[in-house]
Amino acid sequence: MSVIRAAIDEMFSIVGQMVGSVFRHGLPLTDKIAARTALTNFVLHIHPVRVRRSWIRMSYTLCLGGLSFFLFIVLTVTGLYLMFYYVPSTNHAYQDMRDLQFVVTFGGLIRNMHRWAAHAMVITVWLHMARVFLTGAYKKPREFNWGVGTLLLLITLLLSFTGYLLPWDQLSIWAVTVGTNMAKYAPIAGPYTRYLLIGGRVVGDNALLRFYVLHVVGLPLAAFLLMVVHFWRVRKDGFSGGL
Amino acid sequence: MAADFRRLIEDSREISRRSFFAIAGWAGFTLASLIALYQSIRWLYPNATYEDPPAFKADPPSSYAVGSTTVIIDKRVVINHDPNGFYAISLICTHLGCTPRYFPDATSDLVLAGTQIAKDPDTGQQATKANPVLPGFKCPCHGSRYFRDAVNFFGPAPRPMDRVHLEVAPDGKLLIDRSVIVDRSFRLKV
Repeated sequence: MSVIRAAIDEMFSIVGQMVGSVFRHGLPLTDKIAARTALTNFVLHIHPVRVRRSWIRMSYTLCLGGLSFFLFIVLTVTGLYLMFYYVPSTNHAYQDMRDLQFVVTFGGLIRNMHRWAAHAMVITVWLHMARVFLTGAYKKPREFNWGVGTLLLLITLLLSFTGYLLPWDQLSIWAVTVGTNMAKYAPIAGPYTRYLLIGGRVVGDNALLRFYVLHVVGLPLAAFLLMVVHFWRVRKDGFSGGL
Repeated sequence: MAADFRRLIEDSREISRRSFFAIAGWAGFTLASLIALYQSIRWLYPNATYEDPPAFKADPPSSYAVGSTTVIIDKRVVINHDPNGFYAISLICTHLGCTPRYFPDATSDLVLAGTQIAKDPDTGQQATKANPVLPGFKCPCHGSRYFRDAVNFFGPAPRPMDRVHLEVAPDGKLLIDRSVIVDRSFRLKV
């Protein structure tokens, strides 16, 4: 009996150690424990240990940056789900999109979440920029982060444009024909840029594959790296809201 | 690094072995980086695209009646047979590259709305209130319009659609080469 009891005690102590290794500071019952948790936890470290209520007043930020980031996460997750049923080839793309819409269980839900989150993200990113501009939050010492933000806006628009081709319907093919022909109007580099973008002379298999690669890997990766810098700079430069 | 270069510029005899290797190393690194940059950009330019070849065969000339306009939509080409010969149009809008569509009447709605439409400089035809209907092409993307002979008359298109070369192949069929752009006066007489 005593052997079994010793084994059970041992098991509890191991479980206790495992739980303790995850929740190192116990419940945040006092400000001190809460502060220590925020300082040492990876997930919480994005958050300042102390935040004044006035910094994050809803009527000041309108949550627009946070909403944009939330939509980016929604798009990443739903996009990953879509990739399980989508092949970026001119023979499959349109049919796969139709299957997602009408055959795959919850396909319509996931596709529409991706679609509407994409539209919403373009809107929230624009409005976020407008808010930062109108509150003067781009001024010294935050000019650098304004620059990073303009790049993030550009990437958001490029993600929107590259994603638009992927359903491979008439609307998307001709929209990208028009868009890449605009690039062709640039002096000297124009025709080379178009050939580089669509990997040929007409919007075909190469163009679809290139836009797919940019849409699911290249641009999201660039956006992620810039977001890391963007958020870190918010912490370092301080909140622009009222004191 | 900067000090090494300054020493090199000020007095090359004073350069130490260490500085020389530092300069040579950085120069090599820069060169290798430039080569890598060139390679990564050049990599993205395909050497073969496997697109539809520009030249293709259509029906024999006898299949096209005089005065007819035939749209070969898969190839984005139009074959016009006029009394003075054949010519082929590359059906690519000169504005931003969409495919204009043929309409037996491409003018009357504009004429009746009061828009002045210029005379076709090649055929001399003009759509007027008395005679408002002329055939032509309308682009679905931004509304450019062209006369039947590919001359633009409305919308954002900056110039007429390209005419491309056509000839009679040895087997008697029309051979159209979309990669060869010809003058607007080009006609194939059969």
